[in-house]
Amino acid sequence: MTTTHRMTRPWRALGWVLAGLVVLAGCAPPAPDAGTPPAIDTPAATDRATAPAGGGTLRVSAFPISQIDPAFISSDAEVLIANHVYDYLVDIDAENNIAPRLATEWTVSEDGRVYVFTLAEGVLFHDGTPLSPEDVVWTFDRLRDPAGGLPTVDLYAGIEAIEVTGEREVTFTLAESNPFFLYDLSDNHALILREGTTDAASVFNGTGPFTVVEYMPEDRLVMRANPDYFGGPPALDGLEIIFFSDQTAAADALRGGQIDLDMDLSTPLYESLREVEGITTVEAATNAFAAVRLRMDREPGSDPRVMQALKMATDREAIFQLVQQGYGAIGRDSPIGPVYAEAYSEDTPLPPYDVEAARALLAEAGYGDGLSLDLHLPNTLGFPDLAVVLKEQWAMAGVDVEVLAEPESVYYGEDGWLEVNLGITGWGHRPYPQFYLEVMLACGAIWNEAHWRDEELDALIDIAGTTLDDAERAEAYREVQRILIERGPLLVPYFFPRLAAHREDLVGFALKPFSGRTDLRGVSLAAAP
Amino acid sequence: MVTPELSSDVVAQAEPEPRLRGVFRRLFARASSAIGTGVFLTFVLLAVVGPWVAPYEANQQIAAEARQPPSARHLFGTDTLGRDVFSRVVLGSRDVLSLAGLGTLLAVAAGTAIGLLSGYLGGWADEVIMRLFDSLLALPAMLLALLFLGSIGPSRPSVLLVIALVYTPIVARVVRSVVLSVKGKGFVEAARLQGEPLGHILFAELLPSAMPALAVEAALRFSYAIFLVASLGFLGLGVQPPSPDWGLMVKEARAAVSQTPWALYYPAGAIAALVVGVNLMADGLKRALRSTAELR
Repeated sequence: MTTTHRMTRPWRALGWVLAGLVVLAGCAPPAPDAGTPPAIDTPAATDRATAPAGGGTLRVSAFPISQIDPAFISSDAEVLIANHVYDYLVDIDAENNIAPRLATEWTVSEDGRVYVFTLAEGVLFHDGTPLSPEDVVWTFDRLRDPAGGLPTVDLYAGIEAIEVTGEREVTFTLAESNPFFLYDLSDNHALILREGTTDAASVFNGTGPFTVVEYMPEDRLVMRANPDYFGGPPALDGLEIIFFSDQTAAADALRGGQIDLDMDLSTPLYESLREVEGITTVEAATNAFAAVRLRMDREPGSDPRVMQALKMATDREAIFQLVQQGYGAIGRDSPIGPVYAEAYSEDTPLPPYDVEAARALLAEAGYGDGLSLDLHLPNTLGFPDLAVVLKEQWAMAGVDVEVLAEPESVYYGEDGWLEVNLGITGWGHRPYPQFYLEVMLACGAIWNEAHWRDEELDALIDIAGTTLDDAERAEAYREVQRILIERGPLLVPYFFPRLAAHREDLVGFALKPFSGRTDLRGVSLAAAP
Repeated sequence: MVTPELSSDVVAQAEPEPRLRGVFRRLFARASSAIGTGVFLTFVLLAVVGPWVAPYEANQQIAAEARQPPSARHLFGTDTLGRDVFSRVVLGSRDVLSLAGLGTLLAVAAGTAIGLLSGYLGGWADEVIMRLFDSLLALPAMLLALLFLGSIGPSRPSVLLVIALVYTPIVARVVRSVVLSVKGKGFVEAARLQGEPLGHILFAELLPSAMPALAVEAALRFSYAIFLVASLGFLGLGVQPPSPDWGLMVKEARAAVSQTPWALYYPAGAIAALVVGVNLMADGLKRALRSTAELR
């Protein structure tokens, strides 16, 4: 048991955007005819019809959850629920900007080390207790306590002190400046609990826009609008999270009108819903990506020409069309995707797709007679498709690939992704790019799966992580991308999109890359015509 | 010297040719077993001539023709990666038949040897072997296979080993029960008294008696093995992509069933047809052998 847990933990921490996309095994009921009108005799629909001037009850599909305590949540569904029962101190909007939530305003000191937050007025927990700054201090102290061993301890290791400095004021002092500190504060786990809470794993006592009425594990979680919400009650009367362990079943439920919103669709399901009358499909760009990487500390990757040759032997456009059906974005061999507008750069051209040149480069590196490689990958998320296409493409350049699609527990286990020579790893979406650089590419980083060390890159990562000058950081990221394209260990063929679909009369909906953080406070269902 | 009575018994066991012909006649006399055998032989034929029949290579990806429904150009349509489903089903028959066939052969060989020995020797050796096999049989075949593949990793040889491992105990039990029923008979006694070596007694004297039961058992195991290979492929623990394994094809097509249902229907249909066919054949074989035995 312990082994299994340890094996899966890094993956879990990497972000469950990807996990949310996993197609679970199971049998789906046959799809009803496209265009079946939403059923009108369901109880929820009746509620909606009789509800006085409300926004209706929104039914959202989600994978079954296993964690309730905000400190331990990780999947999209878990975060989605917590995000509506509790509040963050600061939030991230759909455009990836920091937005106020419980903190209405804040100031940052000149040296970037002291953050002072002012809390909103009239905030009440669902049990009636008013929110105090002590609750905020207690929440973050719990999350960063090394003795507590919560997943957030490392994230908040840079906090020197958290103090109550006024009636509605909390001050955070950092050991050194951190340009991403507000993003760190808006981490998925950082939902404010009442001071001294011990039963967060069984009771939902938040300050959030919805209160939990009923939770039936594996079935549904029913929420009602919180009339005392400090930002004014949400537009919806109620919110129901309905659990589906099968993506196809959830999509069928949307088609049949048993749910109103599905934020977790595979590409084929999304395609199949596009033409359905009464359903609107929505797409959001994310920075979740597939990383094909070669270990640089042993043969054949120790010769950087080998990785460059593999990049040149890859037809990215064909992969994007075949594996992704044109959804998402084509990658540029760095974890900095187009989502990060201020960091992303296309200044350095990618190596051209040129099989002959790739073959010549391999010959130069001493593999003129061909090269045989085992390609390890998890058997989820379309990675086997990617592997099969790569096998065909690289074969043209004389590279013989043996595809080894493994269960996630094997690939992300011991002797798995951190050990294998050539692998495909799924990385989840993060609100800022520094995370990837620090944990997967910096020399000695815990998840440096390519075992790469590059001093020039390390220096740039350091600059980007500490400077408070946006222009300097952008320049550092530009250089990082140049280095990764010119000599890096990664081939990033594409970034995944986040695909959702909903009833066409849903108003005010803005899908976020991490769907669990999607804000349903402002959405409503228009009255049925 | 051998007494005339005993030697005639031995001769009847050693000359199976006329019986074999009778068995085949009876196998095709019944419509259901004739169909089953026909289906099986068709797939065997496909496996042999597959590369000449299939219009495309198994992993040939035609990007421009991805996700096309069945047409004259692509008889069974194409999958999400632009591969011809008809070619993959045809070429995959070799994979599934060779894996299931070889695995069954291994299980039959090992099970026969162990069953003969265990049944003939009796005593504590028999006890130990049979209790060990009982404990293996207590676990469902699929669970055993998953456990085994989970620890040694999925590959073609390991799938073969798994089939052998899972079905050896069953075959051994069947053979052993036949041995127990005949080992007291005169011809076995005679061979032993004559001082024949152990190998001769097991394979020349006892094995022929077990042949009918063994043939039926082998055919049945074979049909289960086909299913096991397909199931393991579906679970991603069998043959690895991009091999045109039917189970793997079903798994790959399942994710895109709303877009390319044909990529799922044809390999799934092939699995069903082959398994049902082999089962009907095994059933017919059992009847044919039984009636042959009765006639004798």
